[in-house]
Parts: sequence; structure tokens; C-alpha cells
Amino acid sequence: MAAIAGSVVSFARPVKAVNVSPVPFAGLRKDNVAFRLHPVSQKFAVLCAAKKETVDKVCDIVRKQLVLPEGTEVSGASKFTDLGADSLDTVEIVMGLEEAFKITVEESSAQSIGTVEDAAELIDKLVEAK
Amino acid sequence: MHHRLLLRRRGAMPLPSPPQPAPRTPGVAGGRLFASLPSPPPLQSRREVHVWYLCPDELNDHSQLDMYKELLSPSERKNALAMNGPRLQKDAMLSRALLRTTLSRYTDAKIDPRSFEFKKNKFGKPEILWQSDGSSMEWPLHFNISHTSSLIACGIAMDTLIGIDVEEKKRKTVKNILSLARRYFTPSEVDYLAKISDSDAQQKEFIKLWTLKEAYVKALGRGFSGAPFNRFSNQLETNNRIQISKAAKVCNDSDSGCDYLSENWRFALAGLNSSYYMAVCIEDNSRGSENGSVPLGLKVWKTIPFIEDTLVSGTDAVKLIT
Repeated sequence: MAAIAGSVVSFARPVKAVNVSPVPFAGLRKDNVAFRLHPVSQKFAVLCAAKKETVDKVCDIVRKQLVLPEGTEVSGASKFTDLGADSLDTVEIVMGLEEAFKITVEESSAQSIGTVEDAAELIDKLVEAK
Repeated sequence: MHHRLLLRRRGAMPLPSPPQPAPRTPGVAGGRLFASLPSPPPLQSRREVHVWYLCPDELNDHSQLDMYKELLSPSERKNALAMNGPRLQKDAMLSRALLRTTLSRYTDAKIDPRSFEFKKNKFGKPEILWQSDGSSMEWPLHFNISHTSSLIACGIAMDTLIGIDVEEKKRKTVKNILSLARRYFTPSEVDYLAKISDSDAQQKEFIKLWTLKEAYVKALGRGFSGAPFNRFSNQLETNNRIQISKAAKVCNDSDSGCDYLSENWRFALAGLNSSYYMAVCIEDNSRGSENGSVPLGLKVWKTIPFIEDTLVSGTDAVKLIT
């Protein structure tokens, strides 16, 4: 997460900034920002887009599904494929998430989930939309 | 067919006999190594599929593994290292080494395994990237890879889309079979599974259906959402043919998502080494009265690249189910 020197940036809803152009965001006072935002190719989260409890719960479900050894690091950035999940694991994880959060995940949304964070964001969105 | 003999014939001098069985390290290095990938019998037609597989647990010799590592591109090596833990890293590395060596076999030994470049289609399906500057020849090779924790398989076809999926017969799902089927399969497939009272048998049939559906989706190359599992049925028919058909009432003609669920697909399902089910799917645009009656030709080799290749199809190791 990028550190913004000397200020807290708040938005109406959590957003993830990607390829930001050098134009201040609406609601941001120029003198609060210590630097100009330049277009960069890496993603950075201005605020965590997914709730921590959601990320933790996803990590828990993933651990159980993949039977990961104790001490294996699973965090928001963890990619499912890097953890050794194959397609059957993935559908089971998605089903586990649907049951835990009482949501339905469309195949097209499920396909774009690469990391734990992606899953958590999608869940928060679906839960909010209920 | 054991190609290990090919290595022994090189050189006039017989090797001194080692005090114990020699470890399987190659006696050659670099470019000469590449030449020791014997050309397999060619793919006879678009209806023929060749599968090459290796078992990571059997490959523990460090110099062998280093040799395989050398074949990878820098980004492949980086991706392999990003995997969680040494075992997954080794599997990822071997998967790329298997792919590169397998492809090389089908180029009349003209392309070094290290030379291949790859790209992804817009859905993320990997394909060979041939140099467009006319400097290298091209072969109409299509491939697909499947992993289980104990076996990695690479399927090759000529001029046609291919998908392959291998799964351990005894793979236990965390979720209940019927709930998985209800969530992801078609109603007719759920009915089929629900009728099986023995839970082991039911689990095996689930895995068979799963590998068939996976193989199809991977052949299609449009990702899981491009052909949602519950929109098409794979029926294991009593005359041993696999029919793929659109799930009734799920697809209407205006639904563009179903455009690709055409019925020009041919399947083969086999038991492998009594521990796995392997499903292969290729696109088959040949129409006519013989559509479906000519089976897909399947040849399977177990390989330790550069060391030993063993043809296993035609033996008990490969039992065709369809």
C-alpha cells in the first residue's frame, strides 16, 4: 500500500487506483498531497479495497480447501494458482465462499479472481449488493 | 519402446561399468542433449492426439533437474519460483520443461526446446508464438497441459484445438459430490450421479465427468465462464461414445455465450496407470455420416526427457473407457 506522506486520503467508497494520471482526485485538497501522482504501471491501493475480516475469512477457507501445511503464508496478495489450487479446488473454494457469505458468484466473475484479495473484494461487493 | 539405447550407441568406446547402477544423469550436455530427443511417430491426422507425461516424484536427481531448469525462459523460471514451496516450484518448472521438450519432438528436431516462445489468447490460453519474420518454420502444433500433484501431462494435436485433463481417481473432494454436481453440472448429470448408490463409484463417475468437462473447456480456450459447466452435458453412453450436448432449457439461440458450445468435439477418456482418469478433447470439424463413429486416436508416452521414453498406450497402463 502506498504511503501518502502527511495526510489521510478518504473517499466515499474504497477504490483501487491504477495507472493514475497526474490529476488530483475529486475531494483532495492540493496542499494535502505531498507529491504529484504520475502514471505508473504498477497497481497500488490507496485504501484497502476489501475488508480485513473478509480477507481473513477467505484465507481460512483457502487453507482448509488446499490443506496447506501449518505456517504457510496466505494473505491478500496470495495467488490461488501459486498456492497449488487447481480448477477443482477453485470451484470448491468458490462454493465455500458462497456458503460462508450467502452469495452467488457468477462464473464470469469467478474467472477474474486471481488472488485472495480479488475474491474478498468480489465478496464485499456482492454482500453489499444484497 | 525404450530410447535409452540411442544414448548408448554414441561413441565407439564402451563405457566402463560403474560399481552400482548408474544414476540417470545424461552423458551429454548442451546442444547434444537436445539431439537426444528422438522424434516420435508423427501425428497421423487431426484426429490423433499424443500425450506425454512425467511423474515429478520420480525426478529427484539434481543435475537432471538443473538441466530441465536450463530449458526455461527467464520469465518461466520466475513464475516457477513464485509458487508456494519447493514442491510446487519443482512441479511448475517440470511442467514447462515437459512442454518445451514435447514440442521440440514434433519439429523434426529442428527447434531447440529453449527456443519456443509463447503468448496467451485473449482468455489466457497459452499458445506457441512463432516468429513472424520468416526466420523459423512453423508447425501447426496445438498443446494443452494438465497437472495433478503426482503427474503432469502434455497433450499435442496437429492443426486442431486440444484440451486435456488428468485427475487422480481417488481424489477426495472437500464438498459433497452431489452438492458440487448440483452447483456446477447439468440436471441430467446430477440425475446420473444421484442414481449411483455406492459412494466410491459415485466419486469416480464424478471425476470422469469432471475431467471430460475440463478437457472441453480447456480445448475451447475461453476460460471457465466461456463454457459454464452447467450449460453442456457430457453423457457417457452405453455404446462408449461421449456425447456433448447443450443442456436443455438453459441455452436459447440468442444467448451468445452458447455459440461456442457446438457439437464438433471429439473426446477420449482413459484410465491411466490404474490411478488416474485422463480426458482428451479435440475439435473435429469433419462432418458426415461417420461423424462420431471414428474414435480419436490416442498415443501416450511416459517420459524422463533426454533419458527415457516409454510408449504406454496399447498396454494395460492405458485403458480406454471410450
